[in-house]
Amino acid sequence: MLESFQLAGRRAFAFVENAFDAAFGPRINPFYHLGALSFFFFWVVTASGIYLFIFFETSIEGAYRSVDYLTHTQWYLGGVARSLHRYASDAMVIVVLLHLAREFVLDRYRGVRWYAWITGVLLLWFLYASGVGGYWLVWDRLAQYIAVVTSEWFDWLPIFGEPMARNFLNNAAVSDRFFSLLSFLHIGIPLFLLLGMWIHIQRISVAKTNPPRSIMVGTLLALTVLSALYPALSQGPADLDTVVSVVRPDWFYLALYPLIDAWSPGIAWGIAGGGTLLLMILPWLPRRQEAAAAEVSLPNCNGCGRCFADCPYSAVIMQPRTDGLPYNAQASVNPELCTACGICVGACPTATPFRRKTELIAGIDMPSLPIRAIRDKTLTATAKLSGTDRVLVYGCQSGIDLTRLAQAGVGVLPLPCVAALPPSFIDFVITRRHADGVMLVGCATGDCYHRLGVDWTEQRLAGQRDPYLRGRVPRERIATAWVAPSGATSLARALDAFRARLRDMGPYQKGGSLPPPSASPASDQGEVSNAAYRLG
Amino acid sequence: MPLIAWDERFSVGVAAVDHEHRELIGLVNETHERLKRPGANITVSDFLGEIYTRISAHFALEEKLMRASRYEQFSEHKADHEHLLDDIRDIMDDYEDSQVFDEERLAQRLATWFADHFRTHDARLHHKLG
Repeated sequence: MLESFQLAGRRAFAFVENAFDAAFGPRINPFYHLGALSFFFFWVVTASGIYLFIFFETSIEGAYRSVDYLTHTQWYLGGVARSLHRYASDAMVIVVLLHLAREFVLDRYRGVRWYAWITGVLLLWFLYASGVGGYWLVWDRLAQYIAVVTSEWFDWLPIFGEPMARNFLNNAAVSDRFFSLLSFLHIGIPLFLLLGMWIHIQRISVAKTNPPRSIMVGTLLALTVLSALYPALSQGPADLDTVVSVVRPDWFYLALYPLIDAWSPGIAWGIAGGGTLLLMILPWLPRRQEAAAAEVSLPNCNGCGRCFADCPYSAVIMQPRTDGLPYNAQASVNPELCTACGICVGACPTATPFRRKTELIAGIDMPSLPIRAIRDKTLTATAKLSGTDRVLVYGCQSGIDLTRLAQAGVGVLPLPCVAALPPSFIDFVITRRHADGVMLVGCATGDCYHRLGVDWTEQRLAGQRDPYLRGRVPRERIATAWVAPSGATSLARALDAFRARLRDMGPYQKGGSLPPPSASPASDQGEVSNAAYRLG
Repeated sequence: MPLIAWDERFSVGVAAVDHEHRELIGLVNETHERLKRPGANITVSDFLGEIYTRISAHFALEEKLMRASRYEQFSEHKADHEHLLDDIRDIMDDYEDSQVFDEERLAQRLATWFADHFRTHDARLHHKLG
């Protein structure tokens, strides 16, 4: 049932994302930067909040008045800042919820990734608490409603000796000091939120906490225009001596409030608490079975640290040497963090197919698919091919269905991640003429299942990240396709086009008329091909 | 007589790097021996592959040390490494593709290659790391 739920979710996301790809291109598709966008909105809220705080008065009389001053008298700055503060925090809720849903449907929350999932779920409480506090501070009718309902909600819990709601019985019951406390909470809780966001990304390396600049500029611009056209307004001053009858709640933050009111605080606690608990145990319903963790072979490891640099999950660490060889360091794998993506093997300089077969053990290797097996499979898959348009496809098995690519003249070798392939294999296949071309198939740009696989692959091909693909390898005999699962048809077309180009080129000649790698950056190829595939 | 003999002048003063240099020289000499024996060329490509692998790993380690010590000529040195690796791959493919095989020429190419690596680059690095 879980799988069908995820599949439906994946289809829905793919549908929307393809539309965004068409509009913006995959590199700046906001759906591939939801986590980073949450950070961005947090900073917008922080910056606008600091400005608002300068003018905000922490008293019953002053709170509404000072916000009113900001909104109307100082509309050009204060009003815009207030609206930005409001809309960016709404946007943060949207991207956070989308982020959560997307990681769930793409199955990126179980196994080793339980840590980010659990911390993320807990962050929701801090996010909502921060937002609700903000609505409260304005001290308008909505704030009054929130004050009363929140108090009733918390009073249901047997933790307060005296009912909190008593504070909001009438105007005389609320003190100025209460507003100081609220302001303090409205700064303190977001600080804890930020701390939690930092904890949330601790177990991944090279965490993306900033979206691409064009997304930031575009989003900020859109928010500012929205703020100018539809400024956030108060809903009349709070008056505890009257009962609020009509409110227009912000559904992003206050969706639960009408329920507390209409049903009972207990049911609302059940929904919020039960929902949180359910989300928290989700990674174990059932637990994801990861393949066996990467293993280090000390006789083949000199501690160069490339696996450490490339691991997307911080599962590889460098530790002091234990075997007496005169090296400073050796790689070591924490199996608790390893997803068996194999990206470390793709980075290892000893993982080359040119080695003596009997000794072909990489310094770091995957027990489920060791480098020797990749070499054997490469030879088996290419031995069957004939013609001048023979292609070996190395592809990521987490994304598109690769088996459909197999046909006469095309061999397919699935890998846990496209970056699990050491670049020397491409050299091996092409310049040793095992095939006429190599096609690399990975997840859509910016949306790699193993986070960094596509980036690292592009950089290795372009000679920007170790290990470089040798400059002698003709780049026109390599095709990259970063495709979403929905792009099967266009991928097949791209493969046909690639084979047609190979036929025109004829067989590989050593030292052919090929530009050096820097002349044709692989990242550009990836962008173009990806856009084409996803659009097609 | 070995093709290349270890010379203290080769030392860069870093135990790990010297250790690998000695190992590489041993491997090259072993390959040279194998080349001289008739009918043994079945394994030459394996030896070359092993040399290529060890040198790739060796460069990876040297580059790590250079980065760590903020060696100012890092990018030149790195470019040389990439170039030298291309050279070895050329040597390997030449060996694979040639019908008539000249053992001495291959041996000399390897020896020259090593001499270049030691003389021009590691001497500079020596001063930096040592």
